Amino acid sequence: MKKMLSNPALWRGVVSIAVFLVLWEIGARSKQWMAPEFFAPFKEFLGAMGFKKDYLPWIGAVPAPSAVLDSWTAVFVDASYWQSWYMSFFRVMSGFIAAMLIGIPFGLSLAMSRVAHGIGFPVFEVLRPIPPLAWVPASIIFWPTQETAIAFITFLGAFYTIVINVLGGARSIDVRYFQAARSMGSSRWDIFRRVILPGTLPSIVVGSAVGMGITWEVVVAAEMISGGGSQIGGTRGGGLGFFIWLSYVGGSYEQIVVGMISIGIAGFVSSELLRWGGRYATPWLKAR
Amino acid sequence: MDAALRLGAADEAIAVLRETTPFGDASEALLARIAGIARRARYAAGARIYSADDAADDIFVVLSGRAEHVFKPEVGAREALRRVTRGGVFGWAGLLLGQTQRLATVTAIEPTEVLRIDTEALVGLLESEPLEGGHVMERFASMIQREFTLPALLAQVRRLSGPLTEEMSSLSLTLYRLSLWLRSPRPYLMLVGFALFLGFWYLAVEVWKLPRFREMPGLTNVVREWLSPSPTYGLSLYIAEYYQHIAMSVWRVAQGFFLATVLGVPVGLLLGWSRSFKEYVFPVFETLRPIPILAWVPLAIVMFIATESAVVYLAFLASFFATALNTMLGVESIDESYVRAANCLGADRWQVFRHVIIPGALPFIFTGLQISIGVSWFSLVAAEMVSGQYGLGYVIWTSYVMVRYPTIVIGMVTLGIVGYVTSALVRIAGDYLMEWRVRELALAER
Repeated sequence: MKKMLSNPALWRGVVSIAVFLVLWEIGARSKQWMAPEFFAPFKEFLGAMGFKKDYLPWIGAVPAPSAVLDSWTAVFVDASYWQSWYMSFFRVMSGFIAAMLIGIPFGLSLAMSRVAHGIGFPVFEVLRPIPPLAWVPASIIFWPTQETAIAFITFLGAFYTIVINVLGGARSIDVRYFQAARSMGSSRWDIFRRVILPGTLPSIVVGSAVGMGITWEVVVAAEMISGGGSQIGGTRGGGLGFFIWLSYVGGSYEQIVVGMISIGIAGFVSSELLRWGGRYATPWLKAR
Repeated sequence: MDAALRLGAADEAIAVLRETTPFGDASEALLARIAGIARRARYAAGARIYSADDAADDIFVVLSGRAEHVFKPEVGAREALRRVTRGGVFGWAGLLLGQTQRLATVTAIEPTEVLRIDTEALVGLLESEPLEGGHVMERFASMIQREFTLPALLAQVRRLSGPLTEEMSSLSLTLYRLSLWLRSPRPYLMLVGFALFLGFWYLAVEVWKLPRFREMPGLTNVVREWLSPSPTYGLSLYIAEYYQHIAMSVWRVAQGFFLATVLGVPVGLLLGWSRSFKEYVFPVFETLRPIPILAWVPLAIVMFIATESAVVYLAFLASFFATALNTMLGVESIDESYVRAANCLGADRWQVFRHVIIPGALPFIFTGLQISIGVSWFSLVAAEMVSGQYGLGYVIWTSYVMVRYPTIVIGMVTLGIVGYVTSALVRIAGDYLMEWRVRELALAER
């Protein structure tokens, strides 16, 4: 502990975040203490650039961190805020688990069988460049409920990454392992169980962690675009993306930032949990 | 009459060449040229065609009859005696590395007709077609080892000189690869895959009308709409507006990508290069990075009064993190002994930066750029859907709102194509620059 506190890197980090917050605070509050006359000389220029003419561009429009903190404490005791957390987590998890359940076997079968690769991979590669969010309308049309539609989009977000990583991982296994296993009389199942599965596990972990990040990206947008099941009423049940969108529509800009930070935390925590689980599943990597 | 006969003889020569192992899958044109330099010869039963240690001048292809091919004992072939019939090739010793004399004695045991091909003329011909020629030589090598059971050490064929590697035109290389690809099962499996996918789409939506699929736009609908000069829903290949949407999206991504590269690469280089800069900046960077780019959408709209710059900002932000992070990792991946070596040789800080850090990080930078163009499209679509006018994301969303379902699919497919093309361009640019770098490294390390 003492060693950690005497580490200059830690203090530099603290200083940098503090400076960042102070600058943000000053910038955001600038419109309160900077007289409008201050901007008079730049009026033409700011107007030409498309900015409001009486406060600092960009930062002037952002709510100050202190205001965000206030708004957060107010929201902290609100059940609907936590309901949003729960909804987003639920959607992310359902999409993500579906992507694992379908993506890992699909990737492994592409890697194991040349015929499956020949048939499946080109179609996969043609669909992959379409961003998951472009699927939103089609998904809403296809799936009976908004909930399944959003889960499908999050599924797509993680699916491509997981399949590509599984395939890449299986491809990069040293061919001598297969030869060794075969010369010792392994069956196809043994090779799968003892060579391919442990060989691809690290890339499955990496793919899942990346996929988890994408899933959070996608769920936010899907909730914003589709309205997050708003028919349930108010902010209740909308998810964090919808929380942000509602705050924007309602003009409470502090809450937008609260929502953004909440999603950042949620995404970070779930990726870290996954990495931690991955380290647990692949203990041999640590020894190297 | 005489000409016609010769033509018939050439056809016969081509036919027999196609039966041989080395020329079996050569192209018609090459076979015709080989037939052009071949001469016919006849041997009576019992006649000696050549003896071991004679000069190895011609290659023989048997047209009819039968000959006995006996290696001299020093050669060490597993089977010294071999009977050669139609389609058999012997007299290839001149093709072997460092071999100028016959390795065997060949005697006709029936009345035998052969084609004689001058070895040097054949090699010259093969060198003029380096791709196919190299392939023929490989097949000679495998025939000599497998059919004539010669030890591998001896059965090394001459290397074709000439433009094999250096100036091989990229077009002929591409065509050759294409012909190899067409001969493999892959293109046909691919067709099966697409047929399954498109067939299922067509059948499920338009023929069987499965529940849920019924509401989706059908394959023929989409294609008809896309190719129609007067589309029902107002957007097809023939409509100028379609290209305006594409151009708008590309222009936004281009701006965001350009800004992200111009800012992200230097920031990443500094992050990787200077420790104190990293310790001051990276914490803020890592605090902002987990926030999904798409969560920025409303704030971006508030920050940038014009929605246009808000959309570009979102495309920029996504690429910026990817570029900066990969560049930083690239700098950190550089072997420290390079920096030390440069320092030892008296390089100052700037020279180390210019000649070690930047080229060393280049592979990672390009990986980062490829990722960054992808995420930039990703966030652009969301931004265009939520706000903005024009652009492919906007097309997809408004088509949904206005119930123009086939146009949704047109938008999605176009987005996929345009996104793929832009990332392919970045990849090609990277490969091009890397090629130069790899060559330089190879030269430097020689």
